[in-house]
Amino acid sequence: MQKYLSRHNFYTLLDTLISGGIRVVAPRMTAGIPLYGPLGESVEMVLDQLPRRSAKEAFFPVCEDIMSYEKEGQQVRLTDVEPASFPETVLVGVRPCDAAAIPVLDGVFSWDYKDEFFLERRRKTTVIGLACTSADDACFCTAVGLSPADTRGSDLFLTPLADGGYLCDVCSDKGEALVADTINLFSEPGSSTPLPLAAPSVPAFDLKKVKGWLDGHFEDPLWDGTALRCVGCGACAFVCPACHCFDIVDEGTEKSGKRRKSWDACGFWKFTHHASGHNPRDKQPKRYRNRIMHKFKYYDDKFGQTLCTGCGRCVRICPVGIDIAAIVTEINGMAIECTPAGGETRS
Amino acid sequence: MINTIDISHYGTVAESIRIEAARILGEGLVTAVVAYTAGRRAGSVQPAIITSAAEAERLTFTAASVNNLAVYLTKAKKDIPRSGRIGIVVKGCDLKALVGLMGESQLQREQLYLIGIPCAGVLASTVRPAEPLTAGNLAPKCRECDAQLPEGCDYVPEIDLPLPTPLESTYAAEIARLEGLTPAERWAYWKEQFAKCIKCYACRQVCPFCFCEQCLCDRNKPQMVDTTPRPAGNTAWHIVRAMHLAGRCAGCAECERVCPMDIPLNLLNRKMAKELKELFDYEAGFAVNEKGPLTMFMEKDDQSFIK
Repeated sequence: MQKYLSRHNFYTLLDTLISGGIRVVAPRMTAGIPLYGPLGESVEMVLDQLPRRSAKEAFFPVCEDIMSYEKEGQQVRLTDVEPASFPETVLVGVRPCDAAAIPVLDGVFSWDYKDEFFLERRRKTTVIGLACTSADDACFCTAVGLSPADTRGSDLFLTPLADGGYLCDVCSDKGEALVADTINLFSEPGSSTPLPLAAPSVPAFDLKKVKGWLDGHFEDPLWDGTALRCVGCGACAFVCPACHCFDIVDEGTEKSGKRRKSWDACGFWKFTHHASGHNPRDKQPKRYRNRIMHKFKYYDDKFGQTLCTGCGRCVRICPVGIDIAAIVTEINGMAIECTPAGGETRS
Repeated sequence: MINTIDISHYGTVAESIRIEAARILGEGLVTAVVAYTAGRRAGSVQPAIITSAAEAERLTFTAASVNNLAVYLTKAKKDIPRSGRIGIVVKGCDLKALVGLMGESQLQREQLYLIGIPCAGVLASTVRPAEPLTAGNLAPKCRECDAQLPEGCDYVPEIDLPLPTPLESTYAAEIARLEGLTPAERWAYWKEQFAKCIKCYACRQVCPFCFCEQCLCDRNKPQMVDTTPRPAGNTAWHIVRAMHLAGRCAGCAECERVCPMDIPLNLLNRKMAKELKELFDYEAGFAVNEKGPLTMFMEKDDQSFIK
């Protein structure tokens, strides 16, 4: 189902939701940079820049309390955080590279352990995606099988039109319900044409072949070659819409405190540091290898999906210019070279 | 009007680096050269460690050659091959870090072959590396550069540096602004900035002076600093960082450049540097000093704080 939503009505829609007590989260300027955050009113929304951090934080916050403890004498009282208390949310202005990562994350958060913190937010959040009309040369969504108009992960999907309004695709029951609640703001699609979509320049990867190459190259000179210069920070993982590793720590005093869950990154040396002192990923290239393996092999092995949506954030912010698109392009080239015509990928 | 910075000599500089790197590797003077190569994106540049003369042809130098490569010579980067003398490309600001590391006995001059850059400035950020260098996107540190021609290097391409356009220091202006605020307003400013911190530790990992084998923030017996990205731990980390760098940081500003959340970290470092200049008439990075002002006592030191 397609509807037309004028620019004015789009903002009215958000203000209507806000005044109705719905939490509306959208990109907005926060201490000088665009980040997803709850809007006080619709005009705070900034749609012309990709937020520095991805939309994953709407479901998997940078840091959250999962339990608190209090001790009095011999009595210890534990209090769970109740996911039921999470607010109904509409997440707006989500680019396809961010939106598509959300269903990818469903795999790991609803696997052997059902992560209620993630899943309850998923249930309570309606995602309004936004087609992408500008790309830089760090963008590569099309190389990983997505597109600037991909509706995966969106409940409603807006395509900017030449008249300033939007064509609104209804992609799910949740999206349909939201439109039904505010139907007077929508009308039938008119004659205004969609703005030209972004055109990322990185040639498409053959993800099957890339995975095939990775299957057989846990040890390879590529890792030292590309990752010797990695300085071992967590910036790439933290800005990534799909990276989802976290740490759990207790913070507080002997008397009271909280158990907290916060983002972690495989680039940190401490990530695999064992209590014994042994570290199986003792050098940075081994840690960087894990980043590529997890995104293009392990996650595919386990959940049948690629853990990268080509948003390009890690490419833009890596302190030492490590470019995952260049690395996977190189792997893609090697994978195709080592595949005999019509045969299986060498492992 | 956009004030373009004249960096027309960088092509010649890059060619000189290629020739010199090939020579010192070919003659066996060094076992590796730490320098810059071009990346995939238009105009992008990345650090590279080359070990053969044949690889030297890949080297470059442009306004996107932002990295302080000194970080690759520190203890934190033990993975870099260290079988002999190492060549390294340094801008004046990068050299100050090496001078500091020598003072702290982390490096010895004879272990290094320094290729100095006659530098007219680099970009503030490499998010758009192909942008022409202007007064608008010039790294703020370059506005107040006092080391355009690194001194005491083994090799510096012979070039007549274009005369720099005098530019006002944005750090000095911003520090003055913050000093003019009330403590409550200043606290509000930093609280808002630190609230963005995600504890990715990019600032720590690129800093040549963060060479502790195990950072205080990575220790949990005892847990000195909360590890989660929340107000308490974020503030504690940034205060620890600023204080630990006081009298050592010479202003390469890599911490600020790499912060994915745009926290103006070098403001803290410059404020510390200003205090040290006022209190001890000390500036980091110009001479190999065994002890900085915060690690020694002199009778003439200011004692007015003792009440």
